[in-house]
Amino acid sequence: MLTDSLTILKKEFGSYFRTPTAYIIIGVYLVISMFSTFYSAYFFMNNNTNLISFFSYQPEVLTILIPALTMKLWSDERRSGTIEFILTQPISYNSIILGKFSAAVLFGLLLLVLTSPFIIYVSFLIKLDWINIASGYIGALLTIVVLTAIGCLISSFNNNAVLAYLFSVFSCWLLTSLNYDFILLPLFNLSENITYRLSQSLNFYHNYQDFIQGEPGLDNLTYFLSLTVLILWLNRLAIDYKKQ
Amino acid sequence: MIVAKNISKSFDNRKALDNLNFCLNKGDIVSLLGPNGAGKTTLLRILTGYLNQSSGSVEIYGHNPQQERVAVLSKIGYVPENAPLYPEMSVYDFLSFAGHLRHLNGQGLQKALKETIINLQLQNVLNQRIETLSKGFKHRVAIAAALLHRPKILILDEPTEGLDPNQKFEMHKFIRQYGQQSIIIISTHILEEVEAISNRVLLLHKGKLIRDTSPQELKLSGNDFDIASAFRAMTGENENVDR
Repeated sequence: MLTDSLTILKKEFGSYFRTPTAYIIIGVYLVISMFSTFYSAYFFMNNNTNLISFFSYQPEVLTILIPALTMKLWSDERRSGTIEFILTQPISYNSIILGKFSAAVLFGLLLLVLTSPFIIYVSFLIKLDWINIASGYIGALLTIVVLTAIGCLISSFNNNAVLAYLFSVFSCWLLTSLNYDFILLPLFNLSENITYRLSQSLNFYHNYQDFIQGEPGLDNLTYFLSLTVLILWLNRLAIDYKKQ
Repeated sequence: MIVAKNISKSFDNRKALDNLNFCLNKGDIVSLLGPNGAGKTTLLRILTGYLNQSSGSVEIYGHNPQQERVAVLSKIGYVPENAPLYPEMSVYDFLSFAGHLRHLNGQGLQKALKETIINLQLQNVLNQRIETLSKGFKHRVAIAAALLHRPKILILDEPTEGLDPNQKFEMHKFIRQYGQQSIIIISTHILEEVEAISNRVLLLHKGKLIRDTSPQELKLSGNDFDIASAFRAMTGENENVDR
């Protein structure tokens, strides 16, 4: 299964660079990331050792850019008819889903790697806590993983890449900004304390914040990974549903 | 060997296939014939596991396409309608990708690529992007990809659509040759093709298999003793028939 996923990954990753899309996304990401870091008030705050100014804007930046990586993954296959080619190859659907997903995650990882010279440059200006920085990068990578899964899911039931992009941005924005208090309180009639704790554990930003503050726990990791697995499973259901 | 028992397929309330039964063996070159909307493409999609049938069963060399998709597809080479390909890839990259998907690697892949490229005369376009190829070449690339793993079953949906007469002739020759050691299923509504290449005809009409016969016997069913008149007599339509 992994070999098959790797074949799909190579094809999809290569296809990013066959058009100018990849270079545009890289350029836009680096410009926005740098801009948000230096123009943010946080940058000049004392004790900016964990580069909060850089990491705190990553969910917003990635919400706009990750859907651009995922929008064509399935929708283009549907539009051009190649979905029939790929789904009639002797490899499992899970391999195809994992391959496409991994290609976009790998591209996201590349984006993060490309920010490293910029972080090194900043380290000459201010003293950085490298453990916090590493934790922030892991948080950003996990954000990429979840947003990519969402983008893949939305793309899998769309024929139109533009619509897939717009729906993905909206869904990613919902995930990263939604506060669950207002849903949980009236719906389950729970005590305020339980509602608060439940809402915090479901809240994206709360889980991400622990990473950028250098205090990630197993619960944060579980949140990101279980959410990803759930969304990829829905992606599988969407593919199966189209066979009916 | 392909065994189909009581296959039916419905989309919402419309029945696309209605209780189909047939059995295909090695050496069968089958033309799947029928007017537009008869259910030809739906049947091919069920055989390749791309769609699930609503009821009935399909067995391909003892495997069920719904439950053993990968085992079934490793025996099948399928070229869907309009031969969809990745336009941004070069011919060589695409064939190499298709080979890896069929679990061919190293020398095995190189040998398969070499043979297929020569057989389908693709030597001169290997480094060209697929989007720059003519329709005929695109078809040949799609067929080459389907043949890389030497499938026991070759399924072609409208294989000669858009090809010029020379390309059609070459395609017919190839199909006749390959069909000697395998099962070939061709969906078409070009009636002259039926006689030129196939030794068996499955005639579909409104989702039903109305005739399972040879091209010669089918001709005898028509008023003018040709396939076109037989087709018209059985399907009651002539506007979709290309001659």
